[in-house]
Amino acid sequence: MSHRVRLGLLIAVVMAVLAAATVAMASSSGNSAASPIKIGILSDCQGAFGAQYDADLGGAIAAFVQYAGAKAKDATDPSKGMTGGAVAGHPLQIVGFGCSNDNAQRAINETKRLVEQLGADILIGPLSGDEAVAVAHYAQQHPKKTFINGTAGSQDPTLQIAPKNFFRYNGDGAQWNAGIGDLLYHKLHWRKAAIIMDDYSFGWTSAAGIIADFCAVGGQIVKRVFPPLNTTDYSSYVRQLPAPNKVDGYFWVVGGTGTVASLKAMQQAYPGSVSKTKISGNLFLEVTGNFQQVAPLISGAYTGGFGTPGTDYKAPAALAYVAQQEKIWKSLPQLGAMNTANAYNGFYFNYYKAAWALVKGLTAVKGSITPSQVPLQQALGKVVLNTPFGTVKLDKNRQAIEGEWSYQVFAQPGKTQVSTVQYIPNVDQSFGGTFKHTSPPPGRTQPPCTKRSLPWVGKEKPVVNGVIK
Amino acid sequence: MVPTALPRPAVRRLSAYDVLRRLPLVLTLLGLLVAGIYILFVTTPLPLSGNGSWRTTTFGSAIDDPVDFAKTFLDAITFAGLLFVVASGFTLIFGLMRAVNMAHGSLFLLGGYIAFDLQQYFTNAGGFGLEQVDAWEWFVPAIVAAVAVAGVGLLMQQLFLRWTQGQELRQALITIAVSIILADQMIQHWPLQDSLAWPSFIGPNNFAHIGGVEYAWSRLFILGVAIVIGIALYLWLQRTRTGMVIRAGVDDRNMVSALGVNIQRTFAIAFVVGSALAGFGGAMGGAFSSLAPGVDGQWLLNSLVVVIIGGMGSLGGAAAGAFLYAFVFTFSAAYLPTSGLDCCTEYSPIFTFVLLIAVLALRPLGLFGRPA
Amino acid sequence: MRRRIEELTVAQGVETVVVAAALIVAALGAHAVGDSFAHNLLTSVFWYGIAASSLIFLSAYGGMVSLAQVAFYGISAFVIGNAVTTGSVKGLHLGYDPWVGIVLAIVITTALGLLLGAVASRSAGIYFLMITLAFGVLANTFFGSVTLLSGFSGISGLEATTPSVLGNSVAHPDRLYYVGLVASLLVYFLIRYLIRTPFGIALQGIRDDPVRMASLGYNVPLHRTLAMGFGAFVASIAGLIYGWQFGHVDPGSINLEQVIFLLIIAVTGSLFKIEGAWLGALVFVVLQDYARNIPLVHYVGISDQRFDTLIGVIFLVIVLLNPGGLLGIWDWIKGFLPGSGSPSPVEPPVAQTGSAGGAGA
Repeated sequence: MSHRVRLGLLIAVVMAVLAAATVAMASSSGNSAASPIKIGILSDCQGAFGAQYDADLGGAIAAFVQYAGAKAKDATDPSKGMTGGAVAGHPLQIVGFGCSNDNAQRAINETKRLVEQLGADILIGPLSGDEAVAVAHYAQQHPKKTFINGTAGSQDPTLQIAPKNFFRYNGDGAQWNAGIGDLLYHKLHWRKAAIIMDDYSFGWTSAAGIIADFCAVGGQIVKRVFPPLNTTDYSSYVRQLPAPNKVDGYFWVVGGTGTVASLKAMQQAYPGSVSKTKISGNLFLEVTGNFQQVAPLISGAYTGGFGTPGTDYKAPAALAYVAQQEKIWKSLPQLGAMNTANAYNGFYFNYYKAAWALVKGLTAVKGSITPSQVPLQQALGKVVLNTPFGTVKLDKNRQAIEGEWSYQVFAQPGKTQVSTVQYIPNVDQSFGGTFKHTSPPPGRTQPPCTKRSLPWVGKEKPVVNGVIK
Repeated sequence: MVPTALPRPAVRRLSAYDVLRRLPLVLTLLGLLVAGIYILFVTTPLPLSGNGSWRTTTFGSAIDDPVDFAKTFLDAITFAGLLFVVASGFTLIFGLMRAVNMAHGSLFLLGGYIAFDLQQYFTNAGGFGLEQVDAWEWFVPAIVAAVAVAGVGLLMQQLFLRWTQGQELRQALITIAVSIILADQMIQHWPLQDSLAWPSFIGPNNFAHIGGVEYAWSRLFILGVAIVIGIALYLWLQRTRTGMVIRAGVDDRNMVSALGVNIQRTFAIAFVVGSALAGFGGAMGGAFSSLAPGVDGQWLLNSLVVVIIGGMGSLGGAAAGAFLYAFVFTFSAAYLPTSGLDCCTEYSPIFTFVLLIAVLALRPLGLFGRPA
Repeated sequence: MRRRIEELTVAQGVETVVVAAALIVAALGAHAVGDSFAHNLLTSVFWYGIAASSLIFLSAYGGMVSLAQVAFYGISAFVIGNAVTTGSVKGLHLGYDPWVGIVLAIVITTALGLLLGAVASRSAGIYFLMITLAFGVLANTFFGSVTLLSGFSGISGLEATTPSVLGNSVAHPDRLYYVGLVASLLVYFLIRYLIRTPFGIALQGIRDDPVRMASLGYNVPLHRTLAMGFGAFVASIAGLIYGWQFGHVDPGSINLEQVIFLLIIAVTGSLFKIEGAWLGALVFVVLQDYARNIPLVHYVGISDQRFDTLIGVIFLVIVLLNPGGLLGIWDWIKGFLPGSGSPSPVEPPVAQTGSAGGAGA
């Protein structure tokens, strides 16, 4: 009998707890009178780009501080969030930060968490290319929400998928490399070159920009090599590249864990081939400044950019921007004191642009996102940002047309030194018609190497000692 | 008890089943033969412009281009050297303790990072020169890393594995948990790509000349170290008392215990040596390629593949496995047809797994594996 | 009936109540726990649970810890993605009827399961674990490099590959939720049924003593191969629900991290009891979502980005406490509750893989 009583008691207790939990959940989802604008910010806190987590959050929050009157909770840790901040009386509320790991599935998981669980109206993010492909598909399925890309550089989200509620205020991986082919053709007189690229979408996209640019002015790509991601020993891949006496140089598009490993293998396979006049590449090469024995070999090599100039760039607007950022953040976790390098960091700046554009869009619609976000989305399409690094506007696919920068990398003890070589104004996604909605997306064989006229060729402005000439 | 075939009858006819059973062997031999003939005689180099065919590879046949063939061969055996150093630690621990140390890759990466930090300290945050790295500025960090990682390994063994001895699966799970924690904490401290510098005497600009082939000293150095370590391990296992106990323990742990040997002490020694090899391998791998989040997973996988092919617990197996793995990986990347732009060398990782499956279909316990 | 209730121990009572409550909550779904919790987290729990149940089935009744189950559910999602989607983005986009796609996904995945089973069936214990791990990594590499079928960006648009009865799973997440629930129950009872059939009993015999079973005339490799095929079949169902829920599958969905996550789920629940699959999935999914909100996380030297460390620590504690996972710990607690005898042994009821050698000696 006692067991029976106890059993009954237990059932009652469990049921009561369940009922209480249900009630608590129901009440917590109640709405307050004011209508806040709920924002989710999606970045990577793990994986290859995990170190940039705080740069991403910091950039986005900085824009809210600067343009919407918010205040960072902790000037040394963006992930603590912000207080205040409003557009036309509607408070801005960051509902959460998404923490992905360079993995599309995780990005979707985190997007669902931010949008569906935490109720974000607007999502800023993601960070990396394949994540953006997945998030753009998600955006297509959720037309009532608005998505602003963080800093992902794959081409598909705005060229192929192109949902009406997905906006990108940064260049894609191909755009970032605009002008580099022209530079090498004319400055170093490269005519024939080979390219080695990571065998995945960002590697292809980034390489596509280099190939399109180099071939447009008359260069030839004689060989393309695709080492798989996470290769341990690159020796047999780099040896597929033609010998140094058969080509004028090599474009290097190997990132992740492979940049230094592949360059070391190259130096071993073709002694003397790793030099500043023989190697060029994309933003991956900038990190080589941190490495002994490779960095000095390519010190002085030209590379494509990441939408921002090098730290030697000293226009008054840029200096004012850095001063502003230093007021907002004392330091960023893992990245150190707020300084020019951190403010110019493409991760920081691209999230900054995304949040800034959002504030502008919201201002245009007076903070109204109910009952529909369509007016906001229309306003976002028209936003023009006059950034310290040039003007950014969107094309009809809601993709940025912006100025790009080429660099020279220099090895300096203990740090990466990038100096700015040229500014390429008004770079758009299409590369003079090379990339269109109907063309195959960048791949192992795409784009083919063809000569054509690019809108920016001949209009690049050299940058000397940090000043645009 | 691992399933073994029933005792074979003395007189047998070749039944259809037998033919089917021999099929993997026949297919493997046939595949090797075709690949060998292809590489040696058939292929032609890809023209610099225009498309190729199934016959065109990067270098052409070994007869046409013996230098590149020799380099590919050297690439394979030097890479095998590094694989052997790392995997021998893994196989030593498994052979004796039947414990699969799934944190082996994490120990590798940790060793690399420790050596990297120390070298940065010695060379004054990496003076970025080519010639200033003295021999001791690589060897001391590498040895300190090996010792430190051995300590971490010992700690893990004493805290978690000592009292779960004999529960293979549980031990594998414990080491997985440890590897998750280690990986996550390492990202915190070393978020970016790092790389050690070789000492200048084998550094990036020094090349050996062997019969007309110019070849990097640093890769030959790896092979040399691997041979030294291999011989040292062999002598240790064959000639010393501890080694004999370990070999006896591999065959019958209970009997060794019953004979009054302190088997726990032997386990600890095996774990220390195995972890130290991972740590030292990390210092070599960090100079050979790079250290970054995710490299731990690559090296766990590398070690697994090597010992699955070679047979777990066998030193000779680790050597054979390392060689086969490196051989297939390197040669498939170098000698798969490159017809046109889109094919086929990027598929070389798949061939590594084809090798794995072929070996397992022939010998479920690996080439040198023995039942427990 | 009344006498049976009176004979229930406290432990059994608690179990009955918890299971009943869980079933009631699950049946109410979004009405009980809210839309987002049900449709995001619980749907994930269902497919993770189904996938984990295939792992647990092989481990508990076949003595084979298979790390290939993640690859199997991924393959299933890749197959339906290639077969059913239309459009111009990635994959073959054949545009078949969803039902054809479902059948293809299940058949191809099961066939691959049988194939892997045939290769791996002569291995056991930790060897089997590593062969299946290698298969899992092979699948990941394969879909990454073969751009015809996927490539690293993967295949999107899977939410529209549902049969028309279900409708687009983004538009009708509630229907997908119930598909997951029903599939979970069906899989659970199917496994329960299977282990009582002569095949299931022979399989358990092989788990305990393969040599004796072989000498009794049982075809040991064949039984193991069939078990692997069944495991792949179950995993393929998880893959369908997974694909519909996320609408996207790419090689990252089946990478080493996911393999370890599924193993964590199975071990957290219990490697020795099928029910553990869904319990482990629930704990894992909830932890992954909410662990970063635990304030304590900040104070133990773990920043909120480092919640993998927390997951690792929790996993480590569970494995150290009891290899039987949470259900094993519950069994152990039950020993102290009134109405039962002495505490039941901590050791799991099933022999550890590989140490089956003891039984064979």
